[in-house]
Amino acid sequence: MSTQSFSTAATVSIRNLSKTFAATGDAKKNKRSANGDGGIVRALANINLEIAPGSFTVLVGASGCGKTTLLRIIAGLETADADGGFALLDGAPVRGPGPDKGLVFQDHRLLPWLTVAANVGFGLENLPAAEREARVAHYIALVGLNEFADAWPAQLSGGMAQRAAIARAIASRPRILLLDEPLGALDAITRLRLQAELERIWREEQITVVMVTHDVEEALYLGDTVVVLSPRPGHIKHIQPVAIARPRERESAVFQELRRQLLEELELRSHPAGGDTAAYEI
Amino acid sequence: MNPKTLFSFFPKWRTLARRALPFLLPATVFALWLYITGTTVTETNVNGETFETPLINPLFLPHPLTVLAGFGELWRDQLWLDFRISTITVLRGYVAGATIGFTTGAACGLSRNVESALAPTFNTLRQVPGLAWLPLLILWFGAGASGKTVLIGLAVFFPVFLNTLQAIRGVGHEYIEVGHIFGYGRLGLLRRIVLPAALPGIFVGLRYGAGVAWAVLVVAEMLGARRGLGFLLMRSQEMMHTNHLFVLIFLIGGVGFSLDYALRRVERHLLRWKRGFEG
Repeated sequence: MSTQSFSTAATVSIRNLSKTFAATGDAKKNKRSANGDGGIVRALANINLEIAPGSFTVLVGASGCGKTTLLRIIAGLETADADGGFALLDGAPVRGPGPDKGLVFQDHRLLPWLTVAANVGFGLENLPAAEREARVAHYIALVGLNEFADAWPAQLSGGMAQRAAIARAIASRPRILLLDEPLGALDAITRLRLQAELERIWREEQITVVMVTHDVEEALYLGDTVVVLSPRPGHIKHIQPVAIARPRERESAVFQELRRQLLEELELRSHPAGGDTAAYEI
Repeated sequence: MNPKTLFSFFPKWRTLARRALPFLLPATVFALWLYITGTTVTETNVNGETFETPLINPLFLPHPLTVLAGFGELWRDQLWLDFRISTITVLRGYVAGATIGFTTGAACGLSRNVESALAPTFNTLRQVPGLAWLPLLILWFGAGASGKTVLIGLAVFFPVFLNTLQAIRGVGHEYIEVGHIFGYGRLGLLRRIVLPAALPGIFVGLRYGAGVAWAVLVVAEMLGARRGLGFLLMRSQEMMHTNHLFVLIFLIGGVGFSLDYALRRVERHLLRWKRGFEG
């Protein structure tokens, strides 16, 4: 175990969480399809979920199922409806974003005017310089970017940029790491490689991880638990524990069987082509 | 690359040629100038006497050496004082205009209320060309440097104000979110996210403003002043010292170039992270 491991991996509890968006206006809210309910969109309805400390939970679902909204509520970037329950981090309601909740976006969102090292140290401004440098060096090494510490983000490949973003998110020692389709924009080979990297980082840092993905294989490769969300309104359809020993073999029979079951839950098997499946574009 | 191979010489030649390329045009013009002003033609007057006369009347185009001598004449005539008053005036006006333009632009960029209160008035005033203020400013401040400092301040204010406002408005929400995630408050967001992200746009205004400042000053000095490079231009023309005109034009160009070069160096350093995009 790393000597710099997390001693405070968080428990996350989602209690009766509901979230509605006004259908008009704000394009940043990613729910656009109105459901005829008086100009509002019910993004999430009555979500209940317990996430154990140090576990790896993956949220999967069709686009529009509210998985990203759920993650953003845990991160504190969105708030639940006034009467719509809460997200609790170690029993305390999430009141807003902060360095105790690390978040990696689909786009790396590195600040282009800072070097990789400065990006990784972005959340560590309050630390003494020596400690900050040591911390930055540790996390840059953890994601294997030692030779690129002084590079500008514009000089990195997509995979390297996402590694740096992961290092930045965990360098401030959050109690939970939230990943919003972090590998979604990468090519297939880089993606497989980074899935293995993510598993290693999670193991070494002993941190609670909640990840959103639309890739069922990725969910099964990484998750202790896979939560299947369904749209209109976004709700939990199925919770699948994944009791396969790590590192997991994607070709194994048990893996493939779970994959088949999950795809069924996502209704990708029952509607193999055409018509309705467009709505379940994954 | 192996330095011993024959072909490795070619890249060196190519870089050398590329370095020399910008000097090709001025060198050609200078050679042409030397040639034209150095050429004489033989003419015959009514008495049948032949004499040598320059191809072009030196009143229109003096020889480079005459221009050099003109520099000496101007120098003895306290050119340094005029040079100093022009550069100091432009620097003072520029710093004042850029500072006020940046602060008000930033305030408007950060607050819609401040923008509603100020921007419509500024946008109306902006339609008045800078030099149109000159007669009024001469009336108020006299023909000295202080009125021109105000004029340059005005001329620099608008581009800096406008570009700062636009640049801050253009900062992507995705970067603001990154600041929120790491717990930065308003001041931290401004310092660590908004200003660095807006800096490229702000520099567009700063560099444009520098060009405007110098141009406005020289013209203002030509229209109403008792000192300065612009004043010397008008006086030299009235006295038909064409060689002095050339000296002053070189000097004015040199100052303009230096101003822009200095800003470009600062910009290159502050925005070095952008070089990756621009190749």
